[in-house]
Amino acid sequence: MFNFKRPHHKLHTSDENDLRLSDLKPGEKGRIVEIGGSENFRHRLIEMGLTRDAEIWVDKYAPLRDPMELIVKGYHLSLRGMDAQKIAVERIA
Amino acid sequence: MNFNIAVAGNPNCGKTTIFNALTGAKQRVGNWPGVTVEKKSGHYTHSDNIFDVIDLPGTYSLAAFSAEETVVRQYLENDEADVVVNIIDASNLERNLFLTTQLIELGKPLVLVLNMMDMADEKGLQIDVDTLATLLGAPVVPVVGRTGEGIDLLKEKILRVSTEISMKARLIDIRYPRDIEIEIEKLHQLIQKNDVTDKHSRWTSIKLLESDQQTRDEVRLHNNCADILDQAKISINRIEVLFKDTGRATISSARYGFIQGAMRECVVESLIDSVDYSRQIDRVLTNRWLGLPIFGLFMWLMFKLTYDIGSIPMDWIDSGLVALMNFISDLLPNSMFASLLVDGVIGGVGAIAVFLPNIFILFLIIAVLEDSGYMARVAFIMDRVMHNIGLHGKAFIPMIMGFGCNVPAIMGTRILESRRDRILTVLINPFMSCSARLPVYVLVAGAFFPDNAATVIFSMYILGIIAAIGSGKLFSRTILKGMSKPFVLELPPYQRPTLRSLVLHTWERGYLFIQKMGTVILVGSVIIWVLGYFPTEVELDRDYGSERTTLAQYHDSQLADLESKFKKSVDQDRSGYHSEMIVYESSSSYLELHEQFQLLQEELTSEKSKQLYSLRQQEIGDITEQKWIGRVGKIFEPIVRPLGFTWRESVALITGFVAKEIVVSTYGVLFGVGEDVDEGSQGVISGLRSSGMTPLVALSFLVFTLLYTPCLATVAAIKRETGTWAYTFFSIAYSLGLAYSLAFGVAYFGRMFNWLS
Repeated sequence: MFNFKRPHHKLHTSDENDLRLSDLKPGEKGRIVEIGGSENFRHRLIEMGLTRDAEIWVDKYAPLRDPMELIVKGYHLSLRGMDAQKIAVERIA
Repeated sequence: MNFNIAVAGNPNCGKTTIFNALTGAKQRVGNWPGVTVEKKSGHYTHSDNIFDVIDLPGTYSLAAFSAEETVVRQYLENDEADVVVNIIDASNLERNLFLTTQLIELGKPLVLVLNMMDMADEKGLQIDVDTLATLLGAPVVPVVGRTGEGIDLLKEKILRVSTEISMKARLIDIRYPRDIEIEIEKLHQLIQKNDVTDKHSRWTSIKLLESDQQTRDEVRLHNNCADILDQAKISINRIEVLFKDTGRATISSARYGFIQGAMRECVVESLIDSVDYSRQIDRVLTNRWLGLPIFGLFMWLMFKLTYDIGSIPMDWIDSGLVALMNFISDLLPNSMFASLLVDGVIGGVGAIAVFLPNIFILFLIIAVLEDSGYMARVAFIMDRVMHNIGLHGKAFIPMIMGFGCNVPAIMGTRILESRRDRILTVLINPFMSCSARLPVYVLVAGAFFPDNAATVIFSMYILGIIAAIGSGKLFSRTILKGMSKPFVLELPPYQRPTLRSLVLHTWERGYLFIQKMGTVILVGSVIIWVLGYFPTEVELDRDYGSERTTLAQYHDSQLADLESKFKKSVDQDRSGYHSEMIVYESSSSYLELHEQFQLLQEELTSEKSKQLYSLRQQEIGDITEQKWIGRVGKIFEPIVRPLGFTWRESVALITGFVAKEIVVSTYGVLFGVGEDVDEGSQGVISGLRSSGMTPLVALSFLVFTLLYTPCLATVAAIKRETGTWAYTFFSIAYSLGLAYSLAFGVAYFGRMFNWLS
């Protein structure tokens, strides 16, 4: 199982002003621009409904500030900050 | 006729509830071959047909990403199932349909079940069931699994799909964007032309475009595979150029595109009626400030209920066992068989059986936490802490449970999804100081640190936690490196658990524990008994019989002396007594003499029994030294001597391998106090003190007891949950090694700096 390549996906939008899911505050809403990270990670998220252009709502952060709780496609999902950092989003009202 | 039905669906979609509603309580729980993924099967009869039902593990996809997904996919691809029943959470339709699109492509006769229709209503979702059935090309049955509404209709649909050819035909394909369809078609034709696979060839084409390793390997087994694999590479490249993403991601996104199209046609969402009760509950339960204290309160309640309620039936079992032991002893006086039954079987298995109520209550509480949806919140709240050790937030539950008993805790690691997390949690769990270790701490700390016993005991718990965290960090950076999965956790809506599923859950896990008692612990107890019973005749250096007689005679003569002295004084005193008002025997001077005499007599009598008792202790100690168990202890004595231990500690630790609380009863035997000692027993305490143990050695002994190889039942649980002897032996060796090193450290540095000598 180790011969199979797992390239890390570099985000295309990589300038510093770029907004990540982990930057959103509770109550803020974003639209997914792109997901980075390992192939398995990206694919897992896409399977869970975090597709490009999907709308995502940050509901809250855990009591110890990590992980975060999101609402996507009508259900609640939790991601760690370090993983949310790999997701580029644009803020929507 | 006999039909195989496979129940598939997302985690938290109510799959198990439907499975239970279909099959009733007639279930078998086992493991899928080669993996520790639970396999549940059952059956039911409908219109004279028998339906064998398999409850597949809950998965979000068929990507073979986890052990569960691999199991589901292999089972479905291997043509074992006649009909696939796909359970869909109607209140979470969009994401649940993702798996459905893959099941449709797999080409099996399919029945779709819209579960939790009541919750969909609450959420303000109106689903047009007929349109959905047309769009997906499979019958759709709306049900409410919790109440059983719609189950009869489901059975009817399953019957029709199983028996009627027309119902089996796949009516639709999931349509992808045109550019992807072109590539699918190219591969499809090549595959059909070369007759490569007996599976649905469209499924194979799509899987190839997703760069699915398993499908590629299967294609590679055929001649002409090169053409197909080359075409797949070309097609994937084209898709990557056109869609600016990998084939896999593009196809998954396209599936969601199809789902969104379907949803637009058959779902009406009225936001006005929508109430998200779960979110309201979570405002409190996972609140930034209240979340942690409430969680702490729940944990405290869990322990409290487990131990307080559990102790009531515990006493019943205990007195039942004592009655049974007495009954057998009366029936078969002084025979070897009686001793085997009483001291070996009942003593050993019974020591564990008394924990059954606690274990069942704990499992029941955990089932409530799981079925209600709170367990996912535990993971959410504690993830930050557990992430430090390289673990998933949910791993916190088995760690806490370890303070009670490591066996249910290790079995509780099944709540973790990734195998790597399960193994890591299993390996560090034994360091959480279980309740069986407490009697040992209380005994030894009470004997050697009477003023600081609580501090010493508390520091043992802390040391255990440090050992667990340290080992967790070590393992996740060495032997279990890089297998970690990203934390993607669904927080399912809260639900009221059904009694049936709570009972089933609790029983399934509790039964495993009972099985273990009947096997591993039974054998272990008998072995310890054999070691302690044979050889039946031992030769002792001292003649205890005559020593006992001499001792008794000496004390008896002392007593006789005292009595004659008393009589003499009385006679003397009486001669000087002149009052005629009161008889001499009631005079104050006589009473004073008599009182003095009685005091002295009591003192002598107690001195006599004390010395006889101590002689008996020495005799039993000597006898045990000659038994096999003592000889084994002697063999290991040189190994444990650097820690300051004698053969007694070595025996106690060996027997403690069956169950750690046995360390205390072993000391009871070694110091001849009998086995019914408890941790407060003065006999053992004085025995320990007089055996030459220093406080330093006692501390090193406590450290060793905390850390060394968990009991037999735990080892059996480790074997069961890791599935391999390799991890089991590793766990034994690692914990022995850690215990030895740290105990040696305590003894060595202690001697060096002259602490506690």
